[in-house]
Amino acid sequence: MSPAGGEPGPGAEATSASAEIMLAFDQATVDLDALQRAAYAVAAEMTVDIRVCGPDYVCTLFPREPDAADEALKHRFRAEVNDQVLRVRIAKQTEPLRNLVFALAFSQTGLAEGDAEGPAC
Amino acid sequence: MLKLERAATALPAHGWQLLPLRFHRLDADSVVLTNLVGEYVFVTPDELSAVVDGTCADQELLARLRAAHLIQVPGETLPAELLAIKLRTRMRRLPDSTGLHIFVVTLRCEHTCRYCQVSRQSAAKNEFDMTEETARRALELAFRSPSPQLKIEFQGGEPLLNFPLVRWITTEANRMNKVHGKDLAFVIATNLALLDEEILDFCAQEQVHISTSLDGPQDLHNGNRRRPGQDSWQQAVEGIRRVQERLGPDRVSALMTTTEASLGRPAEIIDIYAELGLRGVFLRPVSPYGFALRGRGGANYDVGRWLEFYAVGLDRIVELNRQGMPMVEIYASIIAKKMLTNADPGYVDLTSPAGIGIGALVYNYDGDIYASDEGRMLAEMGDHTFRLGTVHDSSYADIMLSDALLNPLTESITLSAPMCATCAFEPYCGADPVFHHATMGDFTGHKALSAFCRRNMDVFTLLLRKMRDDSYFRDLLWRWAQ
Repeated sequence: MSPAGGEPGPGAEATSASAEIMLAFDQATVDLDALQRAAYAVAAEMTVDIRVCGPDYVCTLFPREPDAADEALKHRFRAEVNDQVLRVRIAKQTEPLRNLVFALAFSQTGLAEGDAEGPAC
Repeated sequence: MLKLERAATALPAHGWQLLPLRFHRLDADSVVLTNLVGEYVFVTPDELSAVVDGTCADQELLARLRAAHLIQVPGETLPAELLAIKLRTRMRRLPDSTGLHIFVVTLRCEHTCRYCQVSRQSAAKNEFDMTEETARRALELAFRSPSPQLKIEFQGGEPLLNFPLVRWITTEANRMNKVHGKDLAFVIATNLALLDEEILDFCAQEQVHISTSLDGPQDLHNGNRRRPGQDSWQQAVEGIRRVQERLGPDRVSALMTTTEASLGRPAEIIDIYAELGLRGVFLRPVSPYGFALRGRGGANYDVGRWLEFYAVGLDRIVELNRQGMPMVEIYASIIAKKMLTNADPGYVDLTSPAGIGIGALVYNYDGDIYASDEGRMLAEMGDHTFRLGTVHDSSYADIMLSDALLNPLTESITLSAPMCATCAFEPYCGADPVFHHATMGDFTGHKALSAFCRRNMDVFTLLLRKMRDDSYFRDLLWRWAQ
């Protein structure tokens, strides 16, 4: 998928019998982790219910402001999901190097257990 | 740089790999990428996609990314080593804790400020004064700190109402320091209403720095800071001038607190500071603690309104600099140091692990020890979460290894907190478990709902946009960072 997080990407509109605001994301292209991170990040504007439905994750959006526009909420959530997908990709690519940097940084500080004497108590 | 550029020109698509990076969209056409220590590069959304996909062919951009340790050639070891050194440099304060020791020498005060965060006690009730015995035990604990620098700050109430103890502590600390050999400094946080020649002589002799409060123009200041005679502003201004004249212009600084009445007047506030020759203004929001939290402190405004105030105020300060009048916005200067250098300014609110205990300890008048001044303020409202012990029966180990300190420190570390861990601004920001405990009931807080998070995200975004768009501002921020 495109990582152009500012623009709506995946997230097809799911059908609902009621007036609920729903979006479906293909499990093959969007990690649950990214969806959950996106739901956390938009919590000031909406709460999100995530369920597995066949090959999709179906997200139901509940706006905090009753007069919030449905389309604006969908765009906002899709954009956040796309950014979180990108962040998950970056994290997966860079995790070994990240661990290496932290290991190098803290291996000679005297902070690690047994590395050196701690502060006098 | 030439070497790097030459090297980068040889980079084919997919001929490099990402180093750990985070991003934040500044606006529709611009994204900022930051590395593990906050070094940054501006790119477009399309460039971000190409970089992550490995298809970027823009050699100039690749050179900038490589120079900022955002990408590397596979097999290179130097970038990881350099990042590790920079990361370690930023964490240097941890083994050298605790530099700031706040002595609340009395709770008495002759002011009744609207936003005061601690109890207002009559100026006559000396049962709210710290005793010499309490102060002596607090000093013994302070000198146990590994930090080679010790700053002792006298607070209240109004500390000059217990000036004999201020003098005693200073003398005793200097005596003890003959053994410890630390870089010792003293600050009195005072409203200056009680300043006299004896106190000035003492400050001159002991190299004491004065920190005072100045909320802006006379009517605004006196409306916030009430005292008999309604002359708080006159006393503060006269005191600032006396200190400048007697001790020198750099020996006095002032802090302002933004109340609702301040919001429309940032330029007036800053101009008063300029007129008094004060070189720094700290555009602070009112604290969500103590009496201010009860709605009595002019705190009835949201983050958005404070940010508008901050942006206008910052523009006014930049304009004064353009006119040849050097002035610093102190919050921006703290952030600039974190954005543009590997030094840690040690500002308690903007550090992770949090600055509580590690950066500051507070000894209350009665001997209770708190992890921060805000923790003491909460205690005045009956919440003793951040009380670490008492000078009368706690050892240094009891304090620094207490659950009351270690639990908030470990639970709030930004590198593992939801949203913070992937935030591009994490290297600039802080944990602030006291704020989140006070406003949300847990040490981490829900960052999507946190006023602390929104305020800082918006300030970081503002500063980065201005640096991107305005070369004068970029140069000014570089100067502030030094």
